[in-house]
Amino acid sequence: MAARLLANKNNRVDMESNEVLIDCQSVWKVFGERSAEAIRSIAERGLTKREILKEYNCVVGVSDATLQVLRGEIFCIMGLSGSGKSTLIRLLNRLIEPSLGKVLVKGRDIATMDAATLRETRARHIGMVFQSVALLPQRTVLENAAFGLEVQGVPRDERNRAAEAALAKVGLSDWKSRFPRELSGGMQQRVGLARALTSDPEIILMDEPFSALDPLIRRQLQDEFRQLTKDLGKSAVFITHDLDEAIRIGDRIAIMKDGVIIQEGTAEQIVMNPADQYVADFVAGISRLHLVKAHSVMVPVDQWRRQSPGLSLDGLPHCSPEADIDMLIGKITGTGSDAIAIADGGGIVGVVTTRSLLLGVRGEPEVRAAA
Amino acid sequence: MESFVTTFDTVVDEALFWLSDHAAFIFDGIRVILEGLYDGILWLLMLPPFWAMAIIAGLIGWRALGLGFGIGGAVALVACAAMGLWPETMQTLALVIAASVIALAISLPLGVLAGLMPRLDRALTPALDLIQTLPPYIYLLPAIALLGFGPATALVATVIVAMPPAIRLTALGIRQTPNEFLELGQAVGASRAQMFFKIRLPFAVPSIMAGINQSLMMAFGMVVIAGIVGSGGLGETIYGAIRTLDIATSINASIAIVVLTMLLDRLTQAAARKS
Repeated sequence: MAARLLANKNNRVDMESNEVLIDCQSVWKVFGERSAEAIRSIAERGLTKREILKEYNCVVGVSDATLQVLRGEIFCIMGLSGSGKSTLIRLLNRLIEPSLGKVLVKGRDIATMDAATLRETRARHIGMVFQSVALLPQRTVLENAAFGLEVQGVPRDERNRAAEAALAKVGLSDWKSRFPRELSGGMQQRVGLARALTSDPEIILMDEPFSALDPLIRRQLQDEFRQLTKDLGKSAVFITHDLDEAIRIGDRIAIMKDGVIIQEGTAEQIVMNPADQYVADFVAGISRLHLVKAHSVMVPVDQWRRQSPGLSLDGLPHCSPEADIDMLIGKITGTGSDAIAIADGGGIVGVVTTRSLLLGVRGEPEVRAAA
Repeated sequence: MESFVTTFDTVVDEALFWLSDHAAFIFDGIRVILEGLYDGILWLLMLPPFWAMAIIAGLIGWRALGLGFGIGGAVALVACAAMGLWPETMQTLALVIAASVIALAISLPLGVLAGLMPRLDRALTPALDLIQTLPPYIYLLPAIALLGFGPATALVATVIVAMPPAIRLTALGIRQTPNEFLELGQAVGASRAQMFFKIRLPFAVPSIMAGINQSLMMAFGMVVIAGIVGSGGLGETIYGAIRTLDIATSINASIAIVVLTMLLDRLTQAAARKS
């Protein structure tokens, strides 16, 4: 399990290009009867969420959200219920109209698309998987998986072939002529994923897909989902209320609270440098073993020389900056050395000492602890 | 106040007289069409002998609900014939079928529209409430003034009474599509027509079938009441028996009505479950 997780984490660097698939620019969503006035005063006077509720009795669902989803990455949006994450993901394919701001999908503003273009964009470029799965009960698994293509008017043979291929990818080939009610929750969610994959979209929106599943099945699906998305070269926006899940799955994570994205970054960045106390509380219980890498816990070579005069770099074991804490501990306990030299491209870029390693396990970078 | 009421009554009476004087050709046309439909259905029902109909009904009942129901249904129909009420039973069935076909042809599309358009639904609701609260034989009076004595009047009144449940339950079925499926339709890029036929309608089918079943039951009730206006069938038999205090005949006819009602009710319910 750990080895597999490690392999997963390593293809984080696989983002081939930096092409932006979804560009969400300062998007707001305000709900309520007087939302138009509220939006105007946000634009003109810069009112806050609380002031909007007080003055206009409107609820701000999403407030000034800016994010970019790159080709090939899995972007997680983590937040508790009421944080606006489900609203935000629905703004990305315009299931909900933004009150203010722009959402560009592959460079095109979806707010200005006419009905036909919008349908086309949703059908071909953005798949969606729902927490409730939403499998049509009167259709077989195969017919459900083929639903997207059926709506696009693809002939039956062709769409069934595509649906069978997608079901094979999620391991449900044997179940294609069953009905959804005959499947377990985990299997139903696999069909939901297969349905999204059948239309071969570049982007898949995952709206808390695994939240209703039991923990074991959930972990399994998380790993499978990540592997499948990477293998197929898809991009995904993944909504979750579970930070562990976000860390397991996401290349980058955005943390939402009260409609605002309060921090965005890789799991390591968020764990090592939480933006505020709220995030810090969240990440407190997260294991750093596979998350934090050598480059985050190492001390600069000069500092190490000052702290340990008389010791030489030459005698130290070497590791790469991408080695995680688990590996570093293994190295230190295995070799009996008190420090590890971190080598990158021939040169030594830093040193991990026992002290910096222990601080790293607690999620504190050496630099901050020293200061 | 009293003069206002008198004036109102006079206006209504005169309007009815005016309609029967000046628009007679319209109502004669309606009458011909309705009676034609009724006669056609009755002719079909009377084509096979009673035992053949009993066997057909038994077979359908067997397939739909099991052997016991099939045999019971067939025996019950034979009993209707044995009581000497076979033509009346078939007349009643023809009335119910004709009225239901017309009622459903109007109320299913209307119900769908009401399900999709909340405004239409709000406008229809008081009208449906009114139809369902008034005593059903009220509808016989204007119909008899315009269409005269006979099955046409019975059909019009029955159609009016049978429509509300089908409209309401169809609208309800269309309206209650779970939100996640509407989102699914949007997310896969479904057109409005696809949204309706592939998502809303399948979810509405059970409710629509319940509406059809309810309409049929309302039609049965009304067709019997319409015996007063010479509709023919078991209703008229019962009405005649009441006037002559012929208790035995009225009980026979009542049994025949119960047999017909139960058969149609159970069979349409089975059809609803299958869908």
